[in-house]
Amino acid sequence: MSYDDTTETRRRFLALGGAAGAIALAGCSAEPTDGSDGSDGTDGDGGDGTDGEDGEDGTDGEDGGEGDEETPTLTVATYSSFIDAPSVSPGEWLKEEFESRVDAELEWATPDNELNYYVERASSGVSIDADLYVGLTTEDLVRVDETLDDDLFAERGEVAGFDDVREGLLFDPFDRALPFDTGYVSLVYDGTATEAPETFDGLLADEHAGALIAQNPGASATGRSFLLHTVHRFGDGPDGVVEGGDGDPEYDYLDYWAELQDNDVRVLGSWDDAYSAWSEGEAPMVVSYSTDQVFADMEGADLEEHQIRFLNDQAYATPEGMAVFADADEPELAREFMSFMLEPDVQGQIAERNVAFPATDTAELPDDYAELAQEPSEPVTFTYDELQGSVSEWVEDWERQFAGN
Amino acid sequence: MDSERDAEPSRAAPAVELDGVTKRYGDTAAVDDVSLRVREGEFFTLVGPSGCGKTTTLRLIAGFEEPTAGTVRFAGDSVAGVPPEDRDVGVVFQNYALFPHMTVGENVGYGLNFADPPDGVSREERVAELLELVDLPDAADRDPESLSGGQRQRVAMARALAPGPDLLLLDEPMSALDAQLRERLRVQVRTIQSELGITTVYVTHDQEEALAISDRVAVMRDGTPEQVAPPRTVYREPSSRFVAAFVGDNNVFAGRVVDVDEPVARDGEREGTTRIAAVDVDGETLRVAIDDATAYGVTPGDRLTFCVRPEYLRIGDGASRLRATVASAEFLGETTRVTLDWGGRDLVVRTRDPLSGEVVVGFDPADAHVIAADDG
Amino acid sequence: MSDANRDAAGGGRTLRDRLNGRLRGRLLTALAAVTSVLLVGAFYYPVGTVLIEAVLVDGAPTLAVFGELLRDPFYFGELARLFAGESPVAVARGLLSPDRRLGIVGFTAYQAALSTVASVALGLPAAYLLARFEFPGRRTLRSLTIVPFVLPSIMVAVGFVATFGTNGTLNRVLGAAGLPPVDLMFTLEAIVIAHAFYNAPLVARVTTAAWESVDASAVETARSLGAGPVRAFFDVVAPQVYPAVLTGAALTFVFTFGTFPIVLALGGFELATVEVFVYRLVRDLNYAEAAALAIVELAISLGVLLAYLRYEARNSVSSRGVRPLPRKPLVPTAPTAREVLPRLGLAAYAVVAGLVFVAPIASMVLASVTGGDGALTLEHYRFLLDRQRTGAAFQVRPWPAIRNSLAFASAATLLALPMGVVVAVLTTRRYRGRKLVDTAAMAPLAVSGIIVGLGLLRGLVFGVEVAGWRFAATGAVAIVVAHAVAGYPFVVRTVAPGLEGLDRSLIESARALGASRARVIRDVELPLVWPGVVAGAAFAFAISIGEFTATVVLATGADAYTMPVAIERFIGRRLGPATAMGVVLLVVTGLSFVVIERLGGETRGL
Repeated sequence: MSYDDTTETRRRFLALGGAAGAIALAGCSAEPTDGSDGSDGTDGDGGDGTDGEDGEDGTDGEDGGEGDEETPTLTVATYSSFIDAPSVSPGEWLKEEFESRVDAELEWATPDNELNYYVERASSGVSIDADLYVGLTTEDLVRVDETLDDDLFAERGEVAGFDDVREGLLFDPFDRALPFDTGYVSLVYDGTATEAPETFDGLLADEHAGALIAQNPGASATGRSFLLHTVHRFGDGPDGVVEGGDGDPEYDYLDYWAELQDNDVRVLGSWDDAYSAWSEGEAPMVVSYSTDQVFADMEGADLEEHQIRFLNDQAYATPEGMAVFADADEPELAREFMSFMLEPDVQGQIAERNVAFPATDTAELPDDYAELAQEPSEPVTFTYDELQGSVSEWVEDWERQFAGN
Repeated sequence: MDSERDAEPSRAAPAVELDGVTKRYGDTAAVDDVSLRVREGEFFTLVGPSGCGKTTTLRLIAGFEEPTAGTVRFAGDSVAGVPPEDRDVGVVFQNYALFPHMTVGENVGYGLNFADPPDGVSREERVAELLELVDLPDAADRDPESLSGGQRQRVAMARALAPGPDLLLLDEPMSALDAQLRERLRVQVRTIQSELGITTVYVTHDQEEALAISDRVAVMRDGTPEQVAPPRTVYREPSSRFVAAFVGDNNVFAGRVVDVDEPVARDGEREGTTRIAAVDVDGETLRVAIDDATAYGVTPGDRLTFCVRPEYLRIGDGASRLRATVASAEFLGETTRVTLDWGGRDLVVRTRDPLSGEVVVGFDPADAHVIAADDG
Repeated sequence: MSDANRDAAGGGRTLRDRLNGRLRGRLLTALAAVTSVLLVGAFYYPVGTVLIEAVLVDGAPTLAVFGELLRDPFYFGELARLFAGESPVAVARGLLSPDRRLGIVGFTAYQAALSTVASVALGLPAAYLLARFEFPGRRTLRSLTIVPFVLPSIMVAVGFVATFGTNGTLNRVLGAAGLPPVDLMFTLEAIVIAHAFYNAPLVARVTTAAWESVDASAVETARSLGAGPVRAFFDVVAPQVYPAVLTGAALTFVFTFGTFPIVLALGGFELATVEVFVYRLVRDLNYAEAAALAIVELAISLGVLLAYLRYEARNSVSSRGVRPLPRKPLVPTAPTAREVLPRLGLAAYAVVAGLVFVAPIASMVLASVTGGDGALTLEHYRFLLDRQRTGAAFQVRPWPAIRNSLAFASAATLLALPMGVVVAVLTTRRYRGRKLVDTAAMAPLAVSGIIVGLGLLRGLVFGVEVAGWRFAATGAVAIVVAHAVAGYPFVVRTVAPGLEGLDRSLIESARALGASRARVIRDVELPLVWPGVVAGAAFAFAISIGEFTATVVLATGADAYTMPVAIERFIGRRLGPATAMGVVLLVVTGLSFVVIERLGGETRGL
């Protein structure tokens, strides 16, 4: 890959610069892109959204350049709520646990643009500066593969625990991403205000007029999952690629949405918008995660007001994966981390702390976990191949119908 | 070495010299190929109607504008590219331009932030000295807003002079004041200028003021000086019809020469060079003295333009006489300015006695000044 | 005498003085150069790297993306037919028909226009109150008017749902009064009111400043000439206030034209604006279309700004408030209609303002002290303390966020001031095309925030490769520069009209007295337009405090996040922690402004 060389020199340079300290403080850097100094420092730098352990004073470059050559650093990129959510997040526990088991330092990187940040780095020809990404979805892979000519991620390689991963969760046909948890997008409703319908068609009933809040599928993961679920249910038309589960080729997801819109469905921007409007009682039903009661229970809220409904006994599954960057400095350490993520106790902790379902059969979970975190009897999801070339069009067609002004 | 080179030409070179200076704004030339020399210590006035380029000329000297072509020199050195703050000039504007957020004293002292006071005095002493000079000794702590127009003008003068500039530039400094105050102030300005001996360039549209105050005057029109001369010369011997009409009241005539006398003695010095021409103006034959300086080789058939100042038009007297009707009269105190109708054109005379009805006015050939002659 | 004077004058300035003078003379040029470098480096180049994708697809120049966009009725409604080559008459007929399509772009402009009208309508009475009346706490109230400006949209959404929602304050009040409930949520009205919440304070602030510098003697002259108070207002006061109102209106239109999260939060996808689609396209990595759409957006915003700037240039008011109008007491002095009616009007306005501005903020404060069970609690603030004490190093903690916000905002303001003043000085000089320069200088206000974020990522975070070296900038310094670039247009807009109105001979007098151009700005021009400088500084500070997009892109991990970033991080299933942080933001910002404006002085009355 073309940026392999520059990666090395960039890191070397920053290791030196970090030792000097001044560059990290000023936050500006200039480095030769084809230099060849001899340092072997392999530390990450503070210049790309890397959350160093000791990052508070801009000294995060300092410990890599000198002395710690024995302890390799693993840079794990992920989304910010994985390490920093107001309620619970697995980041802190995972870091401590991993560092106690492996002679390595774990550094989190949570750039605001999430995976797109690394796509940008790759297409701009700058080094990736992270070893693996945690939190990939099927759609992410589709998007990355459509955009980049070169591979952003490496093959999975040898990962212990791979065999324990639940069947049906492996979403990457090219065997790069490995799932570490999964979730389901379903309806959450206030049982004291309404009784949610059991089917998609039920949502169209008069009694549920204006009763559902969903999210913009162009910007929100839950919104997109719900839209995909309707595509899965009703198909994308006679000329489409998806045959709906409703058995009527003439009636597609856009027809369904037209009726849903007639019945005053609210499509707000983000999950936050939708959930807070729902919490304020603007509507009794909201598209959210099937783990809602876990949080409600944590807060001591009335579970009657946090009911889950799987429409047609289904829910859209959203497995989350992890994959090693092709550009990784520490590919073996990264695979070690993937193995670690699949270990039974870690799987249990991730499920609890990320409020999701484990990806393996062997996860160690508290007994009461399943009572509050509900799984549908029929999870549905689209495969990589189904999404490829279609998902953008589905979203765009939906936008044009729903927002036509 | 440098000082020698500097010192030598500065004695000889004019204090300010404009050499072929042009300033264009888009397609129009506000100042068009002007060459002027202002002498050391001279009070030099640019006068002309609005839009004649006099203010632009001043701004070119001050450095507020850079010429499109040509060179401005101070004491022989080009000042091209030298910003106003480095030209050692003092400028006074029509609207005083006092800094409203500073006291009078702060205004006067402002320039001393950038140059030490001359003569080694302290800043406070210099401010007091200047306020004394302009007759406002107790005004230092006052607000500019609280001063009258004339007082503000004097503060502006003091401020411009405080750093001891080489050159004082005054842009219509009195046009916002009433007539009486203006006359008083211009005496004061001239007195101060003579006392300091500072080279001064003065811009005004008021020809009377220009004549009253200046050592030399440049009458400007359409971006060029029409005549540069001492006030007396400009008044007596305007070089063009425009100058003749612009500077003071004048009666301008134009006609065809019908006859030219042999040279006769006019006055002692110019013996033999002055001749009398008979000129036909609208059917009336008027006799005009011509000399080689203004009308060399005039022959019958040529067109001749000349003027006669109102004070030289005499009632019922003079070699050439005209019959005219009184159209209007303005009583000016000492004299009365009477406008006469002579065959549809205005003539202006000044008299001590009231006039009415039909009158005869006349002038002697020597009182007519030839402006232009050509064979067209 | 003459020689003595010359010698004395010559002694006044030594060669060294002259050299120093030259250096000082270059200061303005140097400042202009630095400003240009910062603008190019932190704005034009980064944004350019993204916008160019609209016309450069796979390395080949093309207008196909644009053509397709312009002909798409989804975006341009009936106008798309015009771009597709249909006759203007047919298009005009289409536009006049009742079932016309505005398209997303048309709708976006429509809601921006409505929002502008609402903001002006709600802002002007506030300006009247603040400029013309004296009452205890007036200056503090004036300082606090900036607060809505800095609130993250999610906080505003929370406040609005709690105020105007089905179970909100408004409906509870209406219910208690026996009136039928109002269903405001998820309507165009809700969006317009929210936009007014953000922008009416902007209108109010700029208008108040202009109103306060109306010269009392001008009004007295009009009155002495026989004009009644109303007539005097329209003949003398209004013409001096209009330009400021229009400044506020133009900026409001530009901001609301580029509105994004608040529209979907309070309106829903049916009311989606252009920026919603720019966001989705960028997220899907469809840069060509995103860039083309952003350029359309930018062109419209800049068009509005250009039109406004032309107006501003024609209507610069040169009179300064030599003696400001005296303020009136809020309690009527006599029971006459003239005394009582305006105050009754203000009382009615106070009710509306209470609902639109105070209630949402109060609801937000209330939400920050309300627990999951609906009871009052301090648990959310305890969360902030806990997070401060026990949060991991890589997590966002409240105190560094506060500290960074204040440090960045102070630094960004100190940087934005000279940048804004230099640009204001340069654009008030007379030369051909200066309005275009002025408009281009306003571009940071008008470019899609999403595009700026992506551009900063490419231009600053990844850096530029020049001659084998890669130059990159992130962290505190880059954030400060980015914030200053975002805030300096406000300084230009609040300072330029004053400079334009200044008598040139003041500047020239000072220069002839030996002051360099930069020194004249310091000694003469800035003191004379001081209220504008303070107003600009306040806006620059506010922009920095509220900035999110550039901050998250440029923040180097855990050491450069700000309060809005902390709020975003603390948003969870429950909004308590985020609203608590929001209240912290509110308090810190409010206090800052009281301090800034006390320091800046009210109006150095001239």
